[in-house]
Amino acid sequence: MIEMENVTRLYPRGQEIIEALRGVSFRVLPGEFACVRGASGSGKSTLLNILGCLDRPTSGTYRLECDNVSQCSDRQLSAIRNRKIGFIFQSFNLLPRTTALENVEIPMVYRDGRVDRRRALRALDRVGLGGRASHFAAELSGGEQQRVAVARALINDPALILADEPTGNLDAAAGRDVMRLLQDLNREGRTILLVTHDDAVASYASRELLLADGRIASDRAAFTSGPAMGGSR
Amino acid sequence: MNPGKLATQAARSMRRYPLRTSLMMAGIVAGIASLAALASIGEATKRETMRRFKNMIGTFDTIMVRPGGGRSRGMPTLVNVPPTLRFDDARAIATNLPEIKAVAEMQSAFDIDVKYRDRAASPAVFGVSANWLSLRSDEVEQGAFFSEEQDQSLARVAVIGPELRKSLFPDDDEPLGKTIRIAEVPFQVIGVLHGRGAGPAGGSLDNLALIPVNTASRRLFNRDYVTMLIAQLKDPSRSEDAVAAVTALLRERHHIRPPALDDFAVTNPAAVMARVTQASGTLEKILTGVAVMALMVGGIVIMSLMSIAVSERRSEIGIRRAAGASRGDIVMQFTLEAAFVSLSGGLLGVIIGWGGLEAATRLQKLPPVFVWQPLGVSLLLSLAIGLAFGGYPAWKASRVDPAQALRS
Repeated sequence: MIEMENVTRLYPRGQEIIEALRGVSFRVLPGEFACVRGASGSGKSTLLNILGCLDRPTSGTYRLECDNVSQCSDRQLSAIRNRKIGFIFQSFNLLPRTTALENVEIPMVYRDGRVDRRRALRALDRVGLGGRASHFAAELSGGEQQRVAVARALINDPALILADEPTGNLDAAAGRDVMRLLQDLNREGRTILLVTHDDAVASYASRELLLADGRIASDRAAFTSGPAMGGSR
Repeated sequence: MNPGKLATQAARSMRRYPLRTSLMMAGIVAGIASLAALASIGEATKRETMRRFKNMIGTFDTIMVRPGGGRSRGMPTLVNVPPTLRFDDARAIATNLPEIKAVAEMQSAFDIDVKYRDRAASPAVFGVSANWLSLRSDEVEQGAFFSEEQDQSLARVAVIGPELRKSLFPDDDEPLGKTIRIAEVPFQVIGVLHGRGAGPAGGSLDNLALIPVNTASRRLFNRDYVTMLIAQLKDPSRSEDAVAAVTALLRERHHIRPPALDDFAVTNPAAVMARVTQASGTLEKILTGVAVMALMVGGIVIMSLMSIAVSERRSEIGIRRAAGASRGDIVMQFTLEAAFVSLSGGLLGVIIGWGGLEAATRLQKLPPVFVWQPLGVSLLLSLAIGLAFGGYPAWKASRVDPAQALRS
């Protein structure tokens, strides 16, 4: 599914050059549920940008389902984001003055321009928001907004879901709802890559990559037998 | 990807920000409204001027010769006639010059009383040759024009204009066969002219009586010189040559040698016409320039407001990019938005401009002329402005780093 080989990413900042990633190599198999952890400044965000095809590595190769993403043009990268990747963000990132339904439809606009309204409605039903389709995103609660975002992420049936602190802005109950949705998506065979600080959230993953100072510090299977449902947050 | 869907997205964005959209449209509306109105008024005025000229001159295949100094420009005036252009001059032009097909003679007098029973009027009284009608492409609506024979035999017959008819025979009396008195000389009315309408100065061309030129010369005015000659050209496209030939012939006949100036003037209506329409063309150009400047301001407003919109909508751009929009899609969306705004502004402007034009034609008493070309051009122009001035902000939008935009 994901193959990273010796990926580096350098940023110029003023006179100096920041080494955000200094040779990251790892693989994720199809259907895995992995989480990436690390202190801030460890390179998590940069790694996630590259994984999400929003950024390109300075050197090294990144393959997503065998496509060598490092050499794609903007148009090809956009098509990959559109078809293969679903994004879930900490701050939901919905268009506030747009209805839930239209938010879910956005990825279809950039696929082939055919907007299948019934499909978008089914996706909203699936996250339990079929009755909220015509509400503006700004009118929904945080948990509802994040579930709209999940519906949007899966509307084009992507193989990979990238979730960046998906529960960071949610209360415990709403966070659990979102994590259960992700768990369901994983059981359907979708690969999930999760970035989080939260132990409870990380416990849903079956594998944990620890990033430190631009390198993979540890890569181990998570031995918890199941998600810790206590949820301290 | 799909332009139709992108257009829908663009239209939605317009609706989402109504205040910004209307501000962006304002400049374009003002510019296009004035441009559409000005251009249409210019075009309508030009057409009206041409129509009035044609009313007065009849056709453009003639040149006019009148007595007096060669310095005067524009259309001839018919008062204070110097006695330098004679009947034999007319005959010489008609017989000697191959460029000329026919010559009509005209003598005129104003402030002559024309009476019928107890009614009186003071129309223009023209003594004209029998071929006048065809050279001026005039028509007789009722009765007939006088003939060459009637002219030669000094017949006392008259053809009157519709306005004179109205003042002398107001009760729809049959004028034909009636005897009117022109300067106390009795004339029989044998025809009524077709109306010509207004001349270039706005006055009526229908308040007149036409009588045979020889009758006028010997029985009425007692003059052997003419007010004006109208020479019909064989080839209207070579009017300048004909003017030169007539000038040369008359100078020779009048024994004028350089450096003495002509004692006659030749007017070429086609050339006068060209000058007049060119003058109104210049005015039109200036006004158009002003309107185009207003449009440029409108375009700059669009550009700056769109640029602000781009920085305000960074997160939207990030969301769309993450959802699979390429840079090209973003450029397209923002350009389309600008083009939509501008085109809607243009449409509104054309409607307002058209309303203003209606009002203006009423005030100026011009006949409402619908000229669609300036309106179409205005619409196209507004679209072009949207594309041109929306292009830069759209490009800026496509350069927003989605990763950063999504995190902020």
